Amino acid sequence: MRSKREVSPLHVVLCIILLAVSIVAVFMVLGKSRRENPLLRTTNRKSFIVVIGKSDTSAFWQSVASGANAAAAEYNLDMNFVAPVHEESYEDQNDMIRAAINGRARAIVFSAIDYNGNADAINEAIEAGIPVIIIDSDVNSDRVSCRIMTDNYLAGRMAGEQAVHNNEGELTVGIINYDINSMNGQERERGFCDAVNESGRVAGIYTVNCLSTEESAYEETTALLNEHPEINTIAALNELMSLGSGYAVRDLELADSVDIYAFDSNVISVGMLETGEIDGLIVQNPYAMGYLSVEAAYNLINGRELSSENIDTTTTYVSESNMYDPSIQRLIFRFEG
Amino acid sequence: MSERKNSTGVSLSRAMTVVVVIMVFTAVIIALFVFNYLFRDSLENAAMTSAGQSVDQVAVTINNYTDDMVEIMDKLYTNSIEDPDSQEELFQNLINIRSDIVMVATYDSHNNNTGIWTNYDIKDMIYTNLSLYSVPAESDDSISISAPHVVSVLENYYPWVVTITRGADETFSNAAKIAFDVRFSTIARYIDEVGIGQHGYCFIMDSSSNIIYHPQQQLINAGLKYENTYLSALPDGSHMIDGVIYTVKTLENSNWKIIGITYLDETVNDRVRAMTLASVLIFIVVVLMTFLFGSLFSYLFTKPAKKLAGAMKEFEDNASGFVFEPIEGFVEVNKLSDSFEHLVKRIQELMEEVKEEETTLRKTELKALQAQINPHFLYNTLDSISWMCEEGKNEEAVAMVNALAKLFRISISRGHEIIPIEKEVQHAECYLQIQKYRYTNHFDYEFDVQESCKEYLCNKITLQPLIENALYHGLNMIDEGHISIRIFEEGEDVIMEVEDNGSGMTEEQVKELFINDGTDHHGIGVKNVNDRIKIYFGEKYGITVRSELDEGTCVVIRIPKVTEERKYEK
Repeated sequence: MRSKREVSPLHVVLCIILLAVSIVAVFMVLGKSRRENPLLRTTNRKSFIVVIGKSDTSAFWQSVASGANAAAAEYNLDMNFVAPVHEESYEDQNDMIRAAINGRARAIVFSAIDYNGNADAINEAIEAGIPVIIIDSDVNSDRVSCRIMTDNYLAGRMAGEQAVHNNEGELTVGIINYDINSMNGQERERGFCDAVNESGRVAGIYTVNCLSTEESAYEETTALLNEHPEINTIAALNELMSLGSGYAVRDLELADSVDIYAFDSNVISVGMLETGEIDGLIVQNPYAMGYLSVEAAYNLINGRELSSENIDTTTTYVSESNMYDPSIQRLIFRFEG
Repeated sequence: MSERKNSTGVSLSRAMTVVVVIMVFTAVIIALFVFNYLFRDSLENAAMTSAGQSVDQVAVTINNYTDDMVEIMDKLYTNSIEDPDSQEELFQNLINIRSDIVMVATYDSHNNNTGIWTNYDIKDMIYTNLSLYSVPAESDDSISISAPHVVSVLENYYPWVVTITRGADETFSNAAKIAFDVRFSTIARYIDEVGIGQHGYCFIMDSSSNIIYHPQQQLINAGLKYENTYLSALPDGSHMIDGVIYTVKTLENSNWKIIGITYLDETVNDRVRAMTLASVLIFIVVVLMTFLFGSLFSYLFTKPAKKLAGAMKEFEDNASGFVFEPIEGFVEVNKLSDSFEHLVKRIQELMEEVKEEETTLRKTELKALQAQINPHFLYNTLDSISWMCEEGKNEEAVAMVNALAKLFRISISRGHEIIPIEKEVQHAECYLQIQKYRYTNHFDYEFDVQESCKEYLCNKITLQPLIENALYHGLNMIDEGHISIRIFEEGEDVIMEVEDNGSGMTEEQVKELFINDGTDHHGIGVKNVNDRIKIYFGEKYGITVRSELDEGTCVVIRIPKVTEERKYEK
């Protein structure tokens, strides 16, 4: 009757195994709680991620880098921000992507100079198992993990609608665009053109594509205005274009007759709002772009679901009349900590 | 029998397991509750205190800073009034020395700008002066601190500042107010440096719920982070709301509130959760260990105990053939095992002894019987009877035959070893009768038997061998032989005495009686009788002999008062 109550060796072995498992579990729990403690997080090796921008000189990209830095600090990532010297050299960007692959980056945040030219390198990275997050400007790949950018078409439309709103007469438009292969520039141009065309008051649209430098923009704008003096509205599609065209208009003393609608902001373009060369700024949220992209990279590295594959960052229209509103102040004037 | 053995008992190891599990479970639960309660409580208090201290510290630092500025302003103001010519130089020196002061501006009572001193380029044309908006319209000598804003009058430079304004009741050089634009980053640094607990931080909000400065200002600016606007409505002090401690402190010189945020729940719950999990695992570990120890106990105690019980049962069923193998276990078990082994051995020895005694008894009994049917006795008796018949002494012959018959009947007694004393007395009488006929008038005898003794039992053929002894050895040589047989009670015992007045014996002869089993002579002897009494009634009973040469011998038999045959007597 009592035979089944007797202790078989199997019983003992089972007990010992369970005991060992439990002890391991205790240590795992303690270890886990320690890992989850952010103060002790630094004891772990940091994950390395690379943010590849288009430029590192413009205020826009500095702000992106600053946002990325903030997120990297918060999520304890080792973040490296790199950008080519010239904003046209997509090949340099490709080299940076390959360097990131070789450097065993855990994620790449990327802004494409060339929609098609960067595609192969991006696909290589994705094939190497590195998730890619696109910011600001898209690349021709349907395999990227996430896109965080301004809706550039809508941003372009916003600028166009302001141009139409501020000028009740006939519009002759000059568009100062940069690299024709850059997707975001093309989208903005399309949005702007659609918006002004819808007004039915367009006399002509002249587009120039310059190098993404202030000097090139200055020269191209000057040339365009000299060639087409009837131009009364200029769309400058990025930060450097806005400075170049702003200076051109200032030097041609056409500030009163030519309205410039420009993208992004820095202290000079903001100053030009006050002095009247620039009439409106479409201000993106580069800080958020940088921050959210690194946050997304962190989530991808840790195998978490992203809330969305496409995150649309905000755009704000800033004119002379609202530039010193407290909320706008915060948006366009960087706070140096 | 087997039902008793299988009765529902609780095994030691199981009982131990249950007790330990219950104890540990209770201890763990109590520890958890106590820990949770005490820990939460102390952590809450500590967090509240530390949050309060941190926020106070920030407030003090910022107050000191603004006081410092105000002091400088007072100095400038007094100096400007006393010595208006030095004003320019003073202001310039100030901005050179204090890099945290971006700009000094003076305004007249209508808030017109009357002077700007700064180390940065001023715009060619000032469209907007945000610092002016921060200057209160009234010009009294109070201090005001504005919300942070950018300086909008500098060429390509828009630093974030707060404007500290001091009104004046006395004007100097067209100025009614002095305003300092102080770099906000100086104040911001104090805020940034403050950490409360693990994730805690503090920020500044004004009374209308605008965030003045937040350590994650850029996230707030970029719209990625929000703070609850109701916080500014909280009174000064620490408040626990949904596991978060909000510590509010209003600054003296402004409507700013320093708000400290500490996430208590996070810290406490994390630790409590870890603690709970650890406790549960410890509990499991203890339970498993209990099982292991239970097994060990079972191995060392319960199992040997069961084995011992099994051995006992086996012993009960087969006592003589049982071979005990010692059982190993705890010391207690070993002791039990040893004792049981000893017991088994002793019982088996006793059984062996009993068996031997039984055998001896049967043998001696048989010898006694054999002695009764002694051929010599029988020949002689039959010879006597035959002679009597020839003589025509028929009556005597009949008595003789009757006595002989009675003698044998009692001797056999249907196989009983024990017979009533009455019968034994009859037996002795018959024997004496027969012998009396044979040795006519050679001796005489008497019986003195207490009536009360007759019902007690004694071994059969007890008196006869002693009488025979007396006849052949005691009375052989003398003519006037006398044998007296006395039976009486003495306390709990019955005494039977056979006394003769014969030649007596030496001590050696007496000793000889108990060694010699008498087979070489006629009867079965004293030893046989003595042995049977001792086997039957125990060592303290038996025969003693008093004898004196030429005086006589008295053989005393001592037996207990027994009225029933013993159980094993067949």
